[in-house]
Amino acid sequence: MNLVGHLTCFVVVAEELHFGHAAERLGMAQPPLSQRIQRLEKELGVALFERSSRRVELTAAGRLLLDEARDLIARAEHISTLAERAERGAAGTLRAGLPPDLGGAVVAALIAEFGERRPDLRLELREIPTSEQVQALADTALDAGIVRHPCDTRGLALGPMLVQPLGVLLPPAAGPEPVHLADLAGRDLVVFPRTDAPGAHDDLLTACRRHGYDPPAVHEARQPQFAAGLVLAGTAVALAPRAAAPPEVAWRPLAGAPLTWRTSCAHRVGVADREAVADFESVATAVLLGEAAMTPLDTTPARRVVTRPASGFLA
Amino acid sequence: MSRPTAARVEAAFADAGVHGHLHVRDLDTGREIGVRADDPVVLASVFKVPLLVTFQRMAARGDLSPTEQVTVPADVRSAGPTGVSAMLDDVRLSLRDLACLMITVSDNTAADVLYDRVGGAAAVNATMDHLGLGATRVLGNGRDLHDSLLADAGITAYTDLWPKLDEPGTLARLSALDPARTSHSTPRELTRLLALIWNDEAAPAEGCAAMRRLFGLQVWPHRLASGFPYDDVRVSGKTGTLPTLRCEVGVVEYPDGGRYAVAVFTRAFRPVAVLPAADAVIGTAAHLAVESLRH
Repeated sequence: MNLVGHLTCFVVVAEELHFGHAAERLGMAQPPLSQRIQRLEKELGVALFERSSRRVELTAAGRLLLDEARDLIARAEHISTLAERAERGAAGTLRAGLPPDLGGAVVAALIAEFGERRPDLRLELREIPTSEQVQALADTALDAGIVRHPCDTRGLALGPMLVQPLGVLLPPAAGPEPVHLADLAGRDLVVFPRTDAPGAHDDLLTACRRHGYDPPAVHEARQPQFAAGLVLAGTAVALAPRAAAPPEVAWRPLAGAPLTWRTSCAHRVGVADREAVADFESVATAVLLGEAAMTPLDTTPARRVVTRPASGFLA
Repeated sequence: MSRPTAARVEAAFADAGVHGHLHVRDLDTGREIGVRADDPVVLASVFKVPLLVTFQRMAARGDLSPTEQVTVPADVRSAGPTGVSAMLDDVRLSLRDLACLMITVSDNTAADVLYDRVGGAAAVNATMDHLGLGATRVLGNGRDLHDSLLADAGITAYTDLWPKLDEPGTLARLSALDPARTSHSTPRELTRLLALIWNDEAAPAEGCAAMRRLFGLQVWPHRLASGFPYDDVRVSGKTGTLPTLRCEVGVVEYPDGGRYAVAVFTRAFRPVAVLPAADAVIGTAAHLAVESLRH
């Protein structure tokens, strides 16, 4: 017999002391519930309930077995939970997503420092862009991530918002720093694919145009080496934070820091292992502040917003 | 063969950087196209449509006179950039002209004066119940929305809201942006409401004609109307706008008699005030759906 299933019926009847109510709670009809209780009593060789026409009461044996039955059911549920986690490969593992252009030193520091903080956990890192991370977090295929903003944050809890200035990648013989965005006029731009992080992509191109650089052509490249190739060939410029600049090209800051990336850790609201995720976020935030030279959002001036009638309050 | 219309609408939403909902209904054949058309959506200024219907029904019953003159004193102003909200002195005009400003330029002060006059949310929701539109619920007026945004964000001026949106958690805290906590409906139910107005069923024929006239006088060109840049096509509508939310409901009428009720609701991922692509995709998505119903 399915002992756990029968004991569950026993516990519910013991709580309700009414076969009709218990059957309703269990989502089953009353006759099969009565049969199960009878089979359980036969199996155990004791009567669990005293039944009269007006009421149902626990016998002494029933009272004796009730707590043990509850305990056994709880432990059986725990086994199922563990089995599910093991099947997902989640036991003892934290699965985290990183954007592709974080830079090697940042990734190395993250692995080292998380290993020190949580030696009991295996950190499984996946390099995936923001839009896919958002999906994977929602699908519970990831426990935590580092995402670029703005992105679709519904259902996500975010760590502190961090800001990082972008510079321009130029051939190594580039002139004196810094570079004005408008000075790049006429040159093509190579940038990460829009599908990777549409919000950050659109913000970036809008800010370029706002500051006088409207690239004649925009090339999308996921690989930093490909971007570096176009830059070295002199056909395009690229924009990147200093930490993500490939070594074979020159990184120059932009005058007035007109371009920034906003980055934060993210996890699903109601994530299973809250402690592991909190540890990851605190380590990752510290690494991004240190290795990637990011700064907290509240240390940067608030952006200026002039609303227009058509985009004003309740237009 | 071309891709299914719903997939093309989805692609247009993705290109514009928004999450969108759409329902388009052919008013004469009943054919329809929907993309998440039964999800609850935030009404924002579209709450002025059920309010207008309530106003017209009360006028028809004789519960109020649309030509009654009211004075809106200079110190009675709901926040907003248009109409009486933008005016500095006492304004004297008729109830129906308040309705005109409420629809044509989304005047929040005009809407709130009418809201109080018809009996508030209870009266508007009773109208929706009467019309069989149980998913449409109005929970407050413009002033309530403004106060909730400031309180939820912990600020004292609306312009401070935008930079606040960059901070983690702000968007989720704003009840005005959550259909479960603010005035809401569904795209399908809103095209049903428009169908009632266009078929003279939401109120007596005279009242429905008055409502259609106002929607036809709405000034905004950037959303639904932008999808139909044709001299011979009439676009009537009412927009709705709150941070990251842009929507419009309306009716598109072709000279061959084709009439299509449209409801498009979007939520942008970029928390910026000026986002022309998110405005335009309302017209683009509506046009894709209307064209497919016309073939």
